[in-house]
Amino acid sequence: MKNKFVQIALGILTGIGGYLEVGSIATSAEAGASFGYSLIWAIVLGTICLIFLIEMSGRLAATSHHTIADAVRERFGFRFAVIPSSAELIVNLLVLAAEIGGVCLALKLVTGIEVRVWAAPVVLFLWFALWVGTLDVIENSTSILGLVTVAFVVAAVKMHPDYAQVARSIVPSLPHHDPAHYWFTAVSILGATISPYMFVFYSSGAVEERWSVKDLGMNRATAAIGMTFGAVMASAVLVVSAHVFHPLHITVDRYEQIAVVLTPALHKYGLPLFAISLGVCCFGACVEVALATTYGIAQTFGWMWGEDKKPAERTRFSVTYTLIILVAMVVLLTGIDPLKLTVMAMALTALILPLVVFPFVVLLNDETYVHGHRNGPIGNAVVIVTIFLASIIAIVTIPLQIVGD
Amino acid sequence: MEPVKLVAGVLDKQIVDSNKRHAGKVDGLVIVLRKGKPPRVGYIEIGTAVLARRFSKRLERWVIAIGRRFGVRQEPRYRVPWSKVKKVAIDVQLDFDASDTPALAWERWLRDHVVGKAPFAR
Repeated sequence: MKNKFVQIALGILTGIGGYLEVGSIATSAEAGASFGYSLIWAIVLGTICLIFLIEMSGRLAATSHHTIADAVRERFGFRFAVIPSSAELIVNLLVLAAEIGGVCLALKLVTGIEVRVWAAPVVLFLWFALWVGTLDVIENSTSILGLVTVAFVVAAVKMHPDYAQVARSIVPSLPHHDPAHYWFTAVSILGATISPYMFVFYSSGAVEERWSVKDLGMNRATAAIGMTFGAVMASAVLVVSAHVFHPLHITVDRYEQIAVVLTPALHKYGLPLFAISLGVCCFGACVEVALATTYGIAQTFGWMWGEDKKPAERTRFSVTYTLIILVAMVVLLTGIDPLKLTVMAMALTALILPLVVFPFVVLLNDETYVHGHRNGPIGNAVVIVTIFLASIIAIVTIPLQIVGD
Repeated sequence: MEPVKLVAGVLDKQIVDSNKRHAGKVDGLVIVLRKGKPPRVGYIEIGTAVLARRFSKRLERWVIAIGRRFGVRQEPRYRVPWSKVKKVAIDVQLDFDASDTPALAWERWLRDHVVGKAPFAR
């Protein structure tokens, strides 16, 4: 048994690692370049909602010993459960393709070799890590390596941001120009922040580790602290990008532009640090998305699941994640622009949030599952208002964005 | 046994065998009608065809046809007598080992033909 402090520390590290990935980096950088500090509120709002959702998924696991997918099928029946599961499967495949693209891009920045060339080796390495590795090893190593993302915070501080202005941007404001792009970027940030794969993954881990009511305090601390750190990192990306690109009126259209974001502050270390941060974060996210998607399918159909057993003991599980990462690779290889793919995947995540989150919130208000540990009115209100808001903005702005392109 | 709610408390629950192996979900329930006696829960059903039936008869026919062509299960649905159900709690617990039953036919087939042949799988 790990001691409590180590457990919380690891949880927080995993939280940071899980938070910052290609979606947060790309959307925050784009927001900073186009709109200065003004979209920081989207990171803050998304994170508050995410903290509630992560806490809820841990609480569901600790009180009912059910994962989200198990509980949704049991409570609402298979006919209903198919709808959120399919929506999540499709969006997760796009997100996974974007994350694999992020790893490939990091390698391209270091080697100069094209993204498409890297796709197959990266997928093979990812598959091998899942096939041979255990969750602890993969997660802890990516989380510890992920600390390199502190580079973004260092760069942000070195740029002497106007802290008063940053603080004011926590409150949502209306755009001064380009409203369609402003709201689309806002919704992409919300989608990148409130990632359903994160809480599916978290709840599966909690059930596997047999959390009980005793773990509720630790769960609350991990969710709040881990995600807050993550939000600080994402805000740092936004601030740095606002300083580097916004004054020059450069909008971010390609990943290669974002790559130089650390260079003015960190000079020759800027590009390698960006590449390592991107590579490590995206690889960690690849593992989480691939496993969360497979957990979802396995738990919906009642298969044996779990990353720590040998593949031969969990054959449907291991074959499923193999197929999932192959499909994601094919999506990446179709030649879609990786930045567009990322931003669109994040906006689509926001679009499907009500489908995925609403049944989950119902469960957290159902005594038969959570036994006296029901949601409070604040948690319910924050989550429901945020996800419906995000989804409505997504419905309006996604078509505008597609037409605009 | 305590009273159980069939749809709210059994249908769609996880099935676990005597070795704590996940053996699918309760995809369907079969009630047996008896002359002059109250109806009785006969079986729990497992299988994609059972799930398809919950949408429509046509989808069920398609799933059965696809299963005949590509499947590894002998029968489109696997029935477990209710008498084999040991306990209904967080999971529906069976009192036998499911590893050689149709419930885990795909697990076995993939192990023997695909995963088992790959490196580092065991």
